Order: sequence, then C-alpha cells, then structure tokens
Amino acid sequence: MLSDKLGEKILQIQTPQSGKVFVQVNAGVHRDALRILLDKDESAGISAITGVDLGETIELMYHVRTHGTIVTIRTEVPREDARIESIADLIPGTDFHEREVADLFGVTFEGHPNPRRLILSDNWPKNLFPLRKDAEITNIENKAETVTISDVDKQSSDVGTLINVIVGPQHPALIEPEKFSLKVDGEVVKEVDLRIGYVHRGVEKAAEKRTYLQDVYLVERICGICNAAHATGFCQTVEAVMGTKVSPRAEYLRTIILELNRIQSHMLLLGHAGLEAGYESFFQYMWRDRELVMDMMELLTGNRVIASFITIGGVRRDLREEKIPKIKAKLAALKEKMVFYKHLFERDPTLRMRTENIGVLSKSDALKLCVVGPVARGSDVKMDVRKDEPYAAYSEIPFKMITYSEGDSWVRLMVRLDEISESIDIINFALDNLPGGPYRVRVPRIVPTGEALSCVEAPRGELFYYVKSNGTAYPERVKVRTPTFSNILSFAQIAKGGNVADVPVSFISLDPCFACTDRITRLKK
Amino acid sequence: MSLDSAYIFRVLIFPGFTFILLFTFFCDWVERKIEARMQNRIGPTYTGPAGILQPFADFVKLLTKEDIVPRGTKSVVFRFAPILSFSIFVFALFFLPIDGANVIPHSSFDGDLIFVLALVTVANFFLFLSGWSSTDPYSAIGATRVLTQFLGYDIPLFIFALTSAFLANDLSISTIAASQNVPFALLVPWAFVLFTITLQAELEKDPFDVPHAETEIVAGYETEYSGRRLAFLKLAKDVQIVLGAVIVVELFLSGPYGPVFLGLPAFWYTLWFILKVLFVVMITEYLTCIFARLRIDQVLVINWRMLIPLSILSLVATVAVAFWLNPLVV
Repeated sequence: MLSDKLGEKILQIQTPQSGKVFVQVNAGVHRDALRILLDKDESAGISAITGVDLGETIELMYHVRTHGTIVTIRTEVPREDARIESIADLIPGTDFHEREVADLFGVTFEGHPNPRRLILSDNWPKNLFPLRKDAEITNIENKAETVTISDVDKQSSDVGTLINVIVGPQHPALIEPEKFSLKVDGEVVKEVDLRIGYVHRGVEKAAEKRTYLQDVYLVERICGICNAAHATGFCQTVEAVMGTKVSPRAEYLRTIILELNRIQSHMLLLGHAGLEAGYESFFQYMWRDRELVMDMMELLTGNRVIASFITIGGVRRDLREEKIPKIKAKLAALKEKMVFYKHLFERDPTLRMRTENIGVLSKSDALKLCVVGPVARGSDVKMDVRKDEPYAAYSEIPFKMITYSEGDSWVRLMVRLDEISESIDIINFALDNLPGGPYRVRVPRIVPTGEALSCVEAPRGELFYYVKSNGTAYPERVKVRTPTFSNILSFAQIAKGGNVADVPVSFISLDPCFACTDRITRLKK
Repeated sequence: MSLDSAYIFRVLIFPGFTFILLFTFFCDWVERKIEARMQNRIGPTYTGPAGILQPFADFVKLLTKEDIVPRGTKSVVFRFAPILSFSIFVFALFFLPIDGANVIPHSSFDGDLIFVLALVTVANFFLFLSGWSSTDPYSAIGATRVLTQFLGYDIPLFIFALTSAFLANDLSISTIAASQNVPFALLVPWAFVLFTITLQAELEKDPFDVPHAETEIVAGYETEYSGRRLAFLKLAKDVQIVLGAVIVVELFLSGPYGPVFLGLPAFWYTLWFILKVLFVVMITEYLTCIFARLRIDQVLVINWRMLIPLSILSLVATVAVAFWLNPLVV
C-alpha cells in the first residue's frame, strides 16, 4: 500500500524475513511514508529508530508498528552533515528515540521539540558519537567538557510561583538512578522533565566486539529480571538471519521460561508497588510467594535469576520428565495465592484509595506516546506481541489478552495480576503438551550476511531486537529497544496535574526498569 | 512533698525514668516482633534472648555515631529539638498512674488530663521544629506534614478523651482510671475504637504515617539527623508510642487497676499496667500492618469529615447513655 501512494519515491523494497518489510526512501520522504502509515492505521506507533554507521553515510531505520507487524522505513543521511527532519510532531512518542540516535550517532533532528542530551552525560565530549564505528572511547575523563548546571536541574530554583523539585538520581523511591525534575505548584505537579542515562553500560557497542554466542550472555545481563525475554529476542533475531528453524520442544521450553520470567517480574513489581504505597506487609507476602517462581526457574534451568537457558538454535538444557510434577505442584500453589491477592487488590480500601484514578493515561495518549505492554493494555490498547506476531509456541497455546479501559495506576497493576494467572495456565498447557524431539540444533559460529528484527513480549512490554550481520562471527550492529524506554515518556503525561505524593505510585505502576533503559554508552573501559 | 530517698527512687528508678526507659525499649522490641511476624519475617533475634536487647543496642550504636549538624541549619533549635521532645514525652508519663499512683506522689490534680494532652501537643511541635530547622526540602515537607496532620487529629483526640472524663465526672487522669470498675472500653466501645484509630494518626503509624513516607520524602523530619540527636529523636518517637498506649489504657482500660492477689498491690498493678499497654501496642501494630499509607489530603479528609463529626456524635451518645451507665462507674 505504501508503494501505491509513494510511487517512484521508493528506492527499494526488501523482505529479508517473512512478514517484515523494509522500505528504502530518500531522506525527507520518510515523513510522507510515515504519514501514509499513520493515515492507514490510527494505532500505528514507532517501535524503535535504529542507526547504523555505513561508513560514508548513516542509515536510519524507523521501525513502525502497524497492524500488529513492523514496517521499517529506511533512509540514509550523509555522515559529515548528518541532519534529518524530526518526526516528533507526527508521533510524539519518538521524542526519546530521536534523542537517543542524536546522542549516539550525532544525527541532528531538525524541529525536535527538546533536543537536549538524553543518554550521554552533559560533559561528554561534543563531537564523539559512541556508536559510530570510528569513535575512540579512550581517555574520556580528560576530554570532558565543562558544563554549567541548567535551571531545570536546580533544586527549588523559583520559576515564578513554581518550585522545582528534583526526584533522583538518588532517591528512596527509585531503586535505580534516574532523574525527574518536577515543577510543583503547592502539591500539584505542573511539568515533568525526565533525564535517563545515569547507568549506561554500552551494551550495544560491546555486542559488536563479541561473538554471537557471547552476545547471548551479554544481552541476558541487560536486565536480570527479564533476562529470558532478552535472550529469546536476540536468539530469535539471529536465527532469522541464519534461517534456522528451532525444534518444537525448544519452542515450548522457551515459552515456559518466558512465562516464568513474566510471573516473577510481575510479582516483583506488585510487591514493590505495595511498598511505594506504604503497604509493607503486602510487599513481604508477595516477595515470599515469589520464591515459588524462583524455585521453578531453578528446577527448569538450574539458575534462579539469570537463566542462561536460551541459546541460538534452541535451549541449553532439557526438562526431565520427573521434574514436571514438581513444577505443576508449585504452579497450583501459586495459583491459589493469586486468588487471594486478587481479592486483596479488589477489596483493600487504602490500596485502592492510593491507586484508583491516579496517573490516568487515556487511550489516545497511550497511542500517541507509543507505550507498550501492560501500560498499553491498561489503557485499552489491544497489543501483545504474543498475539500479534506469535513467536515461540504462543500460536499453539490458548490464552487471553488482558485489557482494562480505565488507564489508571490501579488497573495497570490489575493487568499484571491477571496476567500472572494467565501465565500459570500457559505453563500448565505447555507442560501437558510438551512435544518430544531434540531441544536444540547445532548452528555455525559464523552468521551469513543479512539483517533481521524481531519482537518479544517481555514482562514490561514489547522488546525489540535488530541484528545486522556482516558475514563474520561478530555482529555489525545490535539494536535493543527495551520496553521501559518506550513507556517512560508517558510518565511525564500521567504525573502532570497529579499530586506530589502520587508520583512514586504512578511511577511504579509503569514498572520502570532502568537497567534496561540505560544500556548504550560505556563511560569507562 | 519532701525530697526523701523514696521520692528520688520513685522518680529516677521505679516507676520513673529508668522503668519508663526500659519499658520503652521493651515495647519497641514487642512492636518489631509483632510487625515481623505479621509480615512473615523473624524480627530481631541476635542481641540478647530472642533479640530483646536489640532496641537498646540500636540506641547505643547511634550514640556512638558521628553527629553531623549540616551547614545552614537553625542550629540551636536543631540541636535541642530532639532532647526536648524526648523529655516532654517522659514528663507527660510522670502524670499517669503506673503502679497505682503517679510517678511523682500526689502530683495528680483536677485537669491533668488536659495538661498531659497539651504536653503531647507541645512535644509534637518540637518534632515539627526538628524538621523545620533542618532546612532540607524533605525535612521541610515532613515537618509541614506533621503540622498539617496534627491539625486534623488533635481535636477529635481531645473530644474522645472527654468521653471518659464525662463518664468519670472528673478531669484528673488518676480519678478516671480509678473509677473504672468496668473498663470504659466495654461501656463505650465506640469511643475506644475511634480513639485508638485517631491515636494511629498521632503516633504517625500506617495508614497515617505520611510525615515520614520513606518513598516520597526519605525520612521526613528526621532526614538530616545523625548520631546522638537521631538516637534521641528515635527514642522520643518510641516513648510517644508508649505514651499513646498508656493514655488509652488510663482512659479506657481502667488504668493499672485490676484484681490483686496476696497483697502487694503495687506489683499487681504494674503487671496489669504492662499487660494492658502491650495489648494496646499490639492493636496499633496490627493496624499498621494491614493498611497502606494514605495521602496527606486523604488523611485530612478522613480527620475532618469523619473523625470530628464522629467524635461529637460519640460524645452525644455517651451523654445519652450516661444515665444507665452511671451505676457501673464508681
């Protein structure tokens, strides 16, 4: 449909994987292409923007999520004068994506509403763009720029009648270092400015320096909580480049670990939400019962947190028959507990007072800001990669997509509570219908030239992977777009107009994970 | 009142300062144990048998830590607020009968109920000052929350206390306690329940612990304190909890009085007193564990729209039934 409207402006159309379209256009035409996609599907949103350093030029790929699949619009800008028109006015959710590319590749997005630094620290050398191939990241300390603290970053500097309250980078409500500048009028939040990037580890750059197999273990460590989702995302993408077909048994085993991962992550978040609302008993109970899931992970993979279970071509360990009843017994116990927690969440008056109608994200805002996962589903956006583009064994397993329409903090937590029950059913089904056969296929170390992208429904939402191979054992480019990176922008929206005391609760209802969000730049070797 | 050795013993050792201090540590340990068991934890176990010395060890540890006074604090107030609030809370306890008589013998007077409640108010004000003098945004917010919350619950607390005073027909705490042949908690249970709930706000416990909501404002008014001053600030909070429980016991649970066997009333009275206070502490801890924290505006709404009308209603109801209850009151 793009080809009808754009005609000869399209330079090339590729489909390197089935269902994934790459459309190459000239810089400038990308806006028209996007507009056409948006006209066709009002729920279209940006999934990620990938930059690749091609030497003479820098390639930009706009991965647009539309009709449950991803259409990539590809364009190139000259390296020396890297500038392109911003699309933030078409899709406000691209704000962070463009700033990320601007920081890491030095591409100027013209017309961007807030072109400040996002990922790199303010004193990072001006003309050093870490993800360009020729970037020399040595001796950074001596090249650092001197910067003055801008007004947004000052505590309590009076801006008219507004008071600037800084939450973070260190704050008891934030487990990981991020910063929010809240402009506060009395107890009401008027404006929010977000700053991420305090714990950058340069995973994308590091992935280029390691072999594919090493990268599996690297990407698992992007986020300990959703490690299986990261490993699956990466392995799936590499398998797509190689054209490897994974055995059905491996697909089922992957599904089981992914769902265990989801339960574990959701329970962690729900307990934490209790803590934010000052409900310590709930927190302690939830985390106690989470141990059941950790035990199941241990039974399945031998590890409690980082599973190291998934590998390119399948999984690394088989599930022995005698372990299945043990896992099923624990699942039954967990299911029973979930009934109690659901009852508690629905009935407890203080918990509801603190979460209901707090931090409301309307459906139109959710679409505009391109949120993913439980946050989107809480705002009645029907979006779940497991349904839209089934991977692993999800196409064969029946399950319900949980959506609520209120869009407040309470339903965002309820979505997760209900999803735990669904996940338990999925695992039960997978254990009952576990196919026989090999659990992995051997794959060559060297990956043929090519590129692929894939999405995984991580506990926090759609997790995006793009891998480009240059025919060696080392990837040319690995792009990771984590769910929190898409969701975090909506915090500015939901906090605005609310009460200061609601900030921690509405913030935690997004289930932010900064270990995921910050992953790109290495500050010290 | 002569300054003989018995008097000094009463004030300094039993049932005065030393007893109150040890009892406070003990109550703190009980609270921590109850909370831990409620939350499926073990609680303190290491120091002393079953960890009973843990609160004392914590106190001593804080005493040995470096004492930092941040630049820019209003230093006189900052330095003295913790010790003043601690001493006022202890002083207030001196007016409550512990072993059957007040700590300072014959110090009870008509109207000391109001005097004790006023002392609590003043001590709370010092807690506010401790935060306010820190000139730290978190402390400042915590301090304003102490005051805001305090404006809400102080009035219903007074009115509920008047229920007991009305029934006993006296404003002196020791008379109120002594006139409860049948504890007022049984005669006017509604006032007892509501007074306990209001007390949660006074003690800054869940669901009303907004002044130090860790996830929002770090430690509230305590944020800038360290070392000795923090030790006394924490101790003041612990004494406050004991004081709150003791006030409930005196007003609604017939004070230290109860059956006496084999003579020795002082021993039995102290025993009843300790058991009753622990009972109230258990209730407050239970409430703390089953609720989430409310927001400051929600706390005020509850205080002004619910507790104040309820307190007046409770007083009216008490007046209405007083005629039938009077034969049960000594």
